[in-house]
Amino acid sequence: MMYLDNNATTAIAPEVVASMQPYLTTEYFNPSSAYEASRGPAFAIKAARAQVAKFLGGVHPDEVLFTGCATESNNAAIFGVMRANPGRRHIITTAVEHPSVLEVSKEAAREGAEVSFIGVNQRGELDLDAFVKALRPDTLLVSIMHANNETGVIFPIDEIARIVKETDPGIIFHSDATQSVGKLGLDLTDRFACVDLLSFSGHKLHGPKGVGALFVRRGTRIRPFLCGGHQEGGRRAGTENVGHIVALAKACELAEEAMTDVTAMQALRDHLEASLCEKIPWLEVNGAGALRLPNTLNLACHCIEGESILYQLDAAGICASSGSACTSGSLEPSHVLQAMQIPFMAMHGSVRFSLSRYTTAAEVDTVIETFPGIVERLRRISPYWDVARRAPREG
Amino acid sequence: MAWEYSEKTKQLFMDAVQGKPGTHLGEIENADGMGEHGSIACGDAMRFTFRVERDASDPCKDRIVQARYLTFGCTSAIAASEALCTIIEQESRTPIEALQISNAAIVDFLDGLPEQKVHCSVMGAEALEAAVFNWAQKRGVNLKALGVDLHDGEEEDGRIVCKCFSLTEPYIRRKIKELELRTIADITNAIKAGGACMACHHQPGGLQDLLDDIWGRPDAKVVSAADASPAGVDPADVGAVLTPYQLGHRIDAIMERHVLPMLRADGGDAEIVDIKDTTVYLRLQGACAGCAGAATTLKLLVERTLKEKVDERLRVIAVGG
Repeated sequence: MMYLDNNATTAIAPEVVASMQPYLTTEYFNPSSAYEASRGPAFAIKAARAQVAKFLGGVHPDEVLFTGCATESNNAAIFGVMRANPGRRHIITTAVEHPSVLEVSKEAAREGAEVSFIGVNQRGELDLDAFVKALRPDTLLVSIMHANNETGVIFPIDEIARIVKETDPGIIFHSDATQSVGKLGLDLTDRFACVDLLSFSGHKLHGPKGVGALFVRRGTRIRPFLCGGHQEGGRRAGTENVGHIVALAKACELAEEAMTDVTAMQALRDHLEASLCEKIPWLEVNGAGALRLPNTLNLACHCIEGESILYQLDAAGICASSGSACTSGSLEPSHVLQAMQIPFMAMHGSVRFSLSRYTTAAEVDTVIETFPGIVERLRRISPYWDVARRAPREG
Repeated sequence: MAWEYSEKTKQLFMDAVQGKPGTHLGEIENADGMGEHGSIACGDAMRFTFRVERDASDPCKDRIVQARYLTFGCTSAIAASEALCTIIEQESRTPIEALQISNAAIVDFLDGLPEQKVHCSVMGAEALEAAVFNWAQKRGVNLKALGVDLHDGEEEDGRIVCKCFSLTEPYIRRKIKELELRTIADITNAIKAGGACMACHHQPGGLQDLLDDIWGRPDAKVVSAADASPAGVDPADVGAVLTPYQLGHRIDAIMERHVLPMLRADGGDAEIVDIKDTTVYLRLQGACAGCAGAATTLKLLVERTLKEKVDERLRVIAVGG
């Protein structure tokens, strides 16, 4: 099987499994207990927190909160900030966020917040002018993702956070960095020093599912999302998931060591992109021309439908994903591609390949051999292909 | 998300795409009947063609001997089209008999479809109807006289209820009756109406009103679109004061006279993105952009000039180039 859906989840690294093993077996003690045996788990959490703090550019360990997933981190950030700052009620986010920010923002609007959704251009880049114009005296929170999960397009959050803080240090800046952590350097004490809150999860960087983190800069006005316990400094109640916390830290450590592999991953992605574009007519890269994650390739296959493509890929042993309506679970195609105003025909035929540092050249070559045939077969049965291929090509 | 398809559905899809013998992918040239349904905007579309063995005396006894389709759609749309063609050919039905193939029969043939995918089987039936209508015109068959009520699309012109999929009131009403749709979920599953933004669910003249009107609900009546309240009037943006406007003009003038010539002399340029109260958001362009050091220096330069010549409270924030 060729796994090219790493923006959905990643394979758990063997070292990570090994690191968490003791806490699922012999070291099961509650880290808050008083006896000697619980000191092991308590120390493990402390070490994990220090490791993640180092990974984020040497922040204070008490600025790192462990959560259940990135979705929880995003909920905690948005609702926590709203509750702590009732005097301001305006939130700015983007139209292309992951649902765990987009839907939470809509929920916040139901609870009395006013939300501005900033759009993107056809390359998927954020409309910076619209963002600047949206800033208001009562703006409370700006929540903008670091890199888009569907297209891989990177937003300049360092720049945006700086504009936010220069405008009004009282505005809190949050970023969902789930897709970029481990792929892009995230130095929260230097280049990204204006970021107040940052979410990510374990399973996107070869850790296990069920653990995430929220960076909360000292001094940020935020209330706890989960109440009812002293854990995480009273900011996230609930007995710590020790094994998973240790695993997340291990995954961060491995990602830090493997940052040099990112170049190789990008070379593979670029090879895949160039080869497919050369072999397949009427193929476009969604987000082409924009700064993108080194592992993501989102393709628009004109005249065919994404779900059919996925089934054919699956039959060939290739795992990928699509933004087509037929795969979305609602009846609507991807909100990200819609915001980019990608033409309908291209949007429904979108396919996303996402690599990891474990992806091999052989896997990529298999896709390059297989994919053009699949597209060709599906186009043969499309009522639009006949018309499209004869029409003059725009742009 | 992955849809749960029956083995039959998956098999038909795979066979069709690989062009196995006995599958029906394609288009018949100079077909006796040709019909289309769906649109790219909605995410799926189908073209249906068939050939008949003509009956010398009575065109109504023409029998379909070959049926083919082209489809832009997902796994279930392709499998449903396959099912429709197979049923028609196997039973060598007349075009009028073919109309009696219900979408329920197609779903049965596929050993079931996920509820959200039922609209794919409806699409096949619609394309078939259009093809039969086309055949009747070619063969001079008066369908109305035979008691066959077909929809040639004219009656579907009307008020758009579901904006996302461009579905009109007459069309939705007809489908509610034909397919006995009782809830909004039924409607969405069968014809996709209301499946995207959902705004038409409960608005006046929306899906619930149509359902109530057709199936009855005490004291319920359909409100015409004209009576519907205008969407979201924004109470904001009232009471703009003139002073910021004048300030903006003054800043513009100083930029034009003192700042820009200086920047342009060095191959740079700048543009005001926004002015909020006493904060000026400035985008540095050309040679100034992309150089962090120069940007900071220039920002301070512009800020000092504006402070001196316009208002000392002014400050400048650089916006990336």
